[in-house]
Amino acid sequence: MKKAKGPGLLLIGVGSLLTSMVVAGFLLGYGVDVLLDTQPIFLLSFGLLGFIGGILKAYKILSDPELH
Amino acid sequence: MSQATETAQSSSGGGTVEYIQHHLTNWCVGPDCDPVTHQANGFWAFHVDTIFFSLFLGILMLFVSARLVKRLTDGVPGGFQNFVESILEFVQGQIRDGFPHAPAIIAPMALTIFVWVWLMNFMDLIPVDLLPLIAGWFGIHYLKVVPTTDLNTTFAMSFTVFLMIIFYNLKVKGPVGYLKMFLFHPFGKFLVPVNIIMTAIEELAKPLSLGLRLFGNLFAGELVFLLIALLGGAAALGVGLLIWFPLQVVLDLGWLLFHILVITLQAFIFMVLTIVYLSMAHTADH
Repeated sequence: MKKAKGPGLLLIGVGSLLTSMVVAGFLLGYGVDVLLDTQPIFLLSFGLLGFIGGILKAYKILSDPELH
Repeated sequence: MSQATETAQSSSGGGTVEYIQHHLTNWCVGPDCDPVTHQANGFWAFHVDTIFFSLFLGILMLFVSARLVKRLTDGVPGGFQNFVESILEFVQGQIRDGFPHAPAIIAPMALTIFVWVWLMNFMDLIPVDLLPLIAGWFGIHYLKVVPTTDLNTTFAMSFTVFLMIIFYNLKVKGPVGYLKMFLFHPFGKFLVPVNIIMTAIEELAKPLSLGLRLFGNLFAGELVFLLIALLGGAAALGVGLLIWFPLQVVLDLGWLLFHILVITLQAFIFMVLTIVYLSMAHTADH
């Protein structure tokens, strides 16, 4: 129990991690779009990547907190 | 309460929506502040109330601890020294569990985050109309007393944590190791472009979730306090509405007691996740 406590506390943040990964994806995509003038290609694709990554990450943390 | 509502109404045109909006508007100073809405419209806009209250609480924290250090005793400690020692031990325990062999700076930083965020959150428990009313006497019409209900504060802190994460990543893993993490992290070496984006999103999500969580919880808590205050404030419209006053007292007390837990929990979460993120930056390989 004591060994897993540190990474285990990441479980508190799983919910907001999922949403903030989507938000971070959209933000990053928006930044790239503004730089390259390609709206809204990167916004959508990075947002999708953030969503997929968020779900993967949440799954990883929830299934094994030691792994993070 | 009704007097305070009247003050708010007279300065903002009346109505419940205006009352809430008035309370959620910062005291904005600078060339980029909108003179009508008082919202920041550009870079050079300072939320003076946020800066003042956060600095004030930071200085208060330093002052109290400096006074305590002078009176430290090896013998039987007084009540306050006992209390501070228990906080110290609590934070140290968290670091022992979450980040063994931490660099010396981590413990003081975690303690500062915990106490400072808690103090800034604590401003939420002061009656919502009290400080704006006092400020109104001195000609300050907009005052938002809780620094952590301002996105600027929470993001400033999470951005600092973000910079520390990058610093320790570069220091422990080296620039090449850090780059490798970006190139090969989730999907191996065959999807390098996707890996770069994924890791960048993941790293960016850490400070974002830290800042947004603290802001969201405290903003929502402040809003509930405002809504409860409106119950009694309705008496400004007619004395008959004073019938709601006992309900306001009960609700306010209930939310106040519950909110003590919320502010402590949020300060704790911010501290613990900072420790965990920094310890993750110290893990050499994935």
